[in-house]
Amino acid sequence: MQNNLKFKMPDGHNEKQFIDKLADQYALKKEPAVVEKFTICDTFDWRLFNNSLVLYASANRLFLRKLAADEILHSAEITSLPAFIWDFPESELKRQVAPIIKMRALLRLVEVQSRSVCYRILNADQKTVARLAYAEFRRWRRKNKLPLVTHLWLKPVKGYPKYMRTLAKQLQEAGLEINKKEELYFKALEVVDKKPGDYSAKINIQLDPQMRSDQATKVILRFLLQIMRINAAQIEDDLDTEFLHDFRVAIRRTRSALGQIKYVFPAKTTARFKKDFAYMGKLSNELRDMDVYLLKEDTYKAMLPPILRDDIDPLFAHLRKKRSKALQKVIRGLKAKKYTKIMKDWEAFLNKPQRDSAGASNAKLPVIDLARNRIHKKYRNVVQVGSQIIENSEDEMLHVLRIHCKKLRYLMEFFSSLFPRKKMNTLIEQLKKLQDNLGDFNDLRVQRDYLLDIIEELPMAQRQSNKMIAAIGSLVGALDKEKQTVKDAFAKTFIDFASPANQALFRELFASTA
Amino acid sequence: MTTLALYSNKGGVGKTAAAVNLSYLAAQSGAKTLICDLDPQSSASYYFRIKPKLKAGAKGFIRGGQQIYKSVKGTDYENLDLLPADFSLRNLDIAFDKVKRSKKRLKKILKPFKTEYDFIFLDCPVTISILAENILNAVDYALVPMIPTTLSVRAYRQLLSFCHNKNYDTGKIYSFFSMVDRHKKMHREIIATVSKTYNRVLQSFIPYLAQVEKMGIYRSPVAVFSPESVASRSYQNLWDKVQNSLLSPQ
Repeated sequence: MQNNLKFKMPDGHNEKQFIDKLADQYALKKEPAVVEKFTICDTFDWRLFNNSLVLYASANRLFLRKLAADEILHSAEITSLPAFIWDFPESELKRQVAPIIKMRALLRLVEVQSRSVCYRILNADQKTVARLAYAEFRRWRRKNKLPLVTHLWLKPVKGYPKYMRTLAKQLQEAGLEINKKEELYFKALEVVDKKPGDYSAKINIQLDPQMRSDQATKVILRFLLQIMRINAAQIEDDLDTEFLHDFRVAIRRTRSALGQIKYVFPAKTTARFKKDFAYMGKLSNELRDMDVYLLKEDTYKAMLPPILRDDIDPLFAHLRKKRSKALQKVIRGLKAKKYTKIMKDWEAFLNKPQRDSAGASNAKLPVIDLARNRIHKKYRNVVQVGSQIIENSEDEMLHVLRIHCKKLRYLMEFFSSLFPRKKMNTLIEQLKKLQDNLGDFNDLRVQRDYLLDIIEELPMAQRQSNKMIAAIGSLVGALDKEKQTVKDAFAKTFIDFASPANQALFRELFASTA
Repeated sequence: MTTLALYSNKGGVGKTAAAVNLSYLAAQSGAKTLICDLDPQSSASYYFRIKPKLKAGAKGFIRGGQQIYKSVKGTDYENLDLLPADFSLRNLDIAFDKVKRSKKRLKKILKPFKTEYDFIFLDCPVTISILAENILNAVDYALVPMIPTTLSVRAYRQLLSFCHNKNYDTGKIYSFFSMVDRHKKMHREIIATVSKTYNRVLQSFIPYLAQVEKMGIYRSPVAVFSPESVASRSYQNLWDKVQNSLLSPQ
């Protein structure tokens, strides 16, 4: 089967002249023009774009295609544009997109209209043997503006390959180029000032190994400040949970940097901002907790025996109420003088040229030396604590190890541009597996304890519902059981992480050469 | 995937008109549809303005596989393809006789199409021989157009007893009334009797109409050149009945 061919019309072309010329050689039948509207969507952090996918809605369907490819991978019928993955109709499209966009909201990036006129090319029997579609794309409701893109499609009809070949040749001879590039997507986003891929919460900075450590640290911290600013501005709109999440991770990384990249700034300064960012983190603890429980609503329900599944609803209704109060508290906090002052002072500090000070003994050190030293030390901490747990596994120790791992991970991410990328990625991947195990364990423990306590909080009337108490009890039991499974998996996960091969690689990259 | 034959052991009952219009309606609903013109007279191919030509003729058809795949042509309508007829198909009976498992050969020939199409319609020639057995083995349902006349009903009775004798499942045979003239008392009476006597008679009537005959002039399905006509609505009604009675799960 032949494929559709897309041609780029030369600048300043005239549709009518072009078609008239074709009509000299072929019997053409013009069909009525069709105007369609497309809404291109993606998440705030461009998850689809980063996977080379384009998702758009047109009429009552959603379409998924690859970037720079025209064939549709999947489509599905919709009644309105879904905001979240759980609003999608059950379909192949949903299955492909779900692991990519996860809990992020879909945003309408731009609306485009296409006006296309199809010409059927007929043989002597007046049978259609190929189609030409002339399509102009404009921003929606900008009818009088020049088109963003104009395409001419040559579409085969099955069983008439000769016409297709001849026409393709003739169009090329007439100066039309076959166009395989993605134009529409980028041009449409350009007119609304959107740059695909311009936001990612991942640390993306380039450090010079010989840079002074204090300067390098400020580069890292300025990047994190950007992330905080971008996300803080969106939290109030409450589009999805991840603006807050990215905001909080940036705060946590900032705190970790202040604590772990030692002696680069004056002690007083470090102490002050450590305190400030601790305050900022605390501000949204409750809101994030509520987000986590509510995102898990379906998972929790699935853990319950079917007979109790609906009885847990009052709990989630309660959590939803709590969440909306917590959100208001965060919004107030972000508008408060204290927050504004912290951010202002922090920015001023980061942009101020660095002066040497007595307490900052590492300030002048080349950053590569400091990075090696810190990462290697933290790594040894992790191995030491982990080995102790293998001997004697107390829940409390697992928590301590989790914190060490987190600090190590952040350090590796801050400084990853200083080390060979492949090796660095391998180690981060290994560390991530260990962190997942420890993270799951901690989450399950915290959630179990939270649920045990929450009964006290519920209104009296509901506390008397035996079935709800039974449902919460059943959930606590299920979480406890899963916690044990995760704990049982710890030993193997840790031994893998601390394998001689990984130890050697850590030594190779980070043991000081001096 | 569903395979439907427009089949009758009596000629001139409106098989091709029904096959062309129903396949068009199926395709319009968004289903990938193939219509196979098995009739050497090639009327369905003519209606779609497609030359009656199969690569390697009836022999190639019997062989199946890639050759027959390459003979498929796109019609002027979205989602609707046609496997053209060929004059050599007049010898299809003899050709079937010569191959192994000769009564199930058509089923085998159509198999590769099943992944690509949601509906396959067979426009069949008049037959009650080995070709008829191939058709009955290959399809999920056979739709039999019946003119409300004595001879047409008699032919239908013959078909049912043929199926009984040969052990074919009569459950896949459905009939509907074709070329109906409601002004004729006999038509009305026969419709009433047949509907009472037989199971699986779809309560759908294609009237005897000039619009249907005009398909030969316009060379397209009725819904294309006369979408609001009685004929067009009758085929739509028949397609609805087929979907509701045969295709939708209880």
